[in-house]
Amino acid sequence: MIIAAALCPAPPLLLPGLTGAAQVLPELRRAGLDAAADLVRAGPELVAVVGAAESTAVWDRWAQVNLAAYAPGLAGAAPDGPGGTGEALPVSLGVGGRLLDLAGYAGERLLRSVAASEPVQACAELGRELAALPGRVALLVLGDGSACRGLKAPGYFDERSAGFDGEVERAVRTGELDALLDLDAELARELMAAGRAAWQVLAGALEAKVVESEIRYCDDPFGVAYLVASMRV
Amino acid sequence: MTDGGGGRAQAQGVLRLGSHSFEPGRLLVMAIVNRTPDSFFNAGETWEESAAMERVHQVIADGADIVDIGGVPAAPGQNVDVGEEIGRTAGFVAAVRALYPTVAISSDTWRHEVAAEVCAAGADLINDSWGGWDAALPGVVAAAGAGLVCAHVGRQRPRTRPHRVSYPDVMADVLEQTQRLAARAVTAGVEESRIVIDPAHDFGKNTWHSLEVTKRLGEMVATGWPVLVSLSRKDFVGETLDLPLQDRLAGTLCATSISAWLGARIFRAHDVAATRQTLDMVASIKGERPPSRTVRALA
Repeated sequence: MIIAAALCPAPPLLLPGLTGAAQVLPELRRAGLDAAADLVRAGPELVAVVGAAESTAVWDRWAQVNLAAYAPGLAGAAPDGPGGTGEALPVSLGVGGRLLDLAGYAGERLLRSVAASEPVQACAELGRELAALPGRVALLVLGDGSACRGLKAPGYFDERSAGFDGEVERAVRTGELDALLDLDAELARELMAAGRAAWQVLAGALEAKVVESEIRYCDDPFGVAYLVASMRV
Repeated sequence: MTDGGGGRAQAQGVLRLGSHSFEPGRLLVMAIVNRTPDSFFNAGETWEESAAMERVHQVIADGADIVDIGGVPAAPGQNVDVGEEIGRTAGFVAAVRALYPTVAISSDTWRHEVAAEVCAAGADLINDSWGGWDAALPGVVAAAGAGLVCAHVGRQRPRTRPHRVSYPDVMADVLEQTQRLAARAVTAGVEESRIVIDPAHDFGKNTWHSLEVTKRLGEMVATGWPVLVSLSRKDFVGETLDLPLQDRLAGTLCATSISAWLGARIFRAHDVAATRQTLDMVASIKGERPPSRTVRALA
């Protein structure tokens, strides 16, 4: 039974140390932490962390992101921390796991990646499987909006991005998560919106539920749409 | 890393200046403040005390870790006796110490009488650019609890220019002389963590020698003594690039980068902000300083 959910973006710059000496986007970090803290306060027996990645898989609890792949010169960034499986954890799940750590969550967690190419029905089905897990389950969903929101955006400006990201924000804000299942996978790919598949897992997990949402952050400081939200079910 | 003078490479340790402790990864800018009317670069610019104090404010704002106050130019010229040198520097050291209680202050002098006065006024380090010419200097430095720079000048006397100098192996000479001076300082009672060695570019050297000691600076670093380099706008840069004083910054910063890469820790400089940027860049390339703010391709 899903009791609560949270939504957070997963740019690599949220990983420890990657922005150098500066703490970039403190308000985004605070929003993510608040959302994670909300989840923990709901008293889950399991937190399922769902994030976009190259493949759909369940990950070892102790797997580590290979920070050195992003920041080879970063002190302590050597791959495969103690207890790691050797295969590098996707960034999205690393960001989610770190949020749970920072929120002081020490309970059970399930790390579930979903391929960016996963079709909508497969995503919804993954969500239903999570909803069918026994006990009190909280969902932490990591996903980013379009990366084409300005001339300096990673994917340059695409006029369709505002509409795409606006629809995601509206669905989350109103709790009408079914609308996320209507997101066009091809458009999401063109807009470099990494979160599409993970959002559709969320929609599948909370299918037909009444959801009360709070938007904690909604902005695009680097041309990528970031959305942080807390959801009560 | 190659051996220092035939011995095993020694690790760099903590460097102490006054109350400060600097770890080996810290690259320090030593800002030049001359109380002279006739130093080789920007001659007379800080001859007036108020102008000199203005420069102190500026170099500290620009990121200087150490202020190096000198009262006698390196080149030959008008005689500056002990009394005149003390008059130019000791009171000014005291004034800087009063305004900046914690900044590290260095005094550029080879004379023990001057060292005694400036240390009493608050200097933390005696930058003896003339290779231990005054044998009484280390004892005075030790008694004051200050630090000492041990520089290589070959066979030069203070305020003389090198003429037809040659060395079978200039770096071997640098290693021998600086380590001998460092050992002498230890014997005199100077704390080991307050001793620095300096190849002294252009002092007792032609341009070829200065290029060679830059290239082989790692051999000095391997001795374990912290290495200071004084490169700023010197003639070896000018001759290498065939450029006048005012156009030597790029060459200076290149030599600064390479020296930092090879392990030098203190950089005596006129252009403090540019040197600070250069050293920060090298430290980040070496992995010893995180970049200031990285978001490119991480959003």
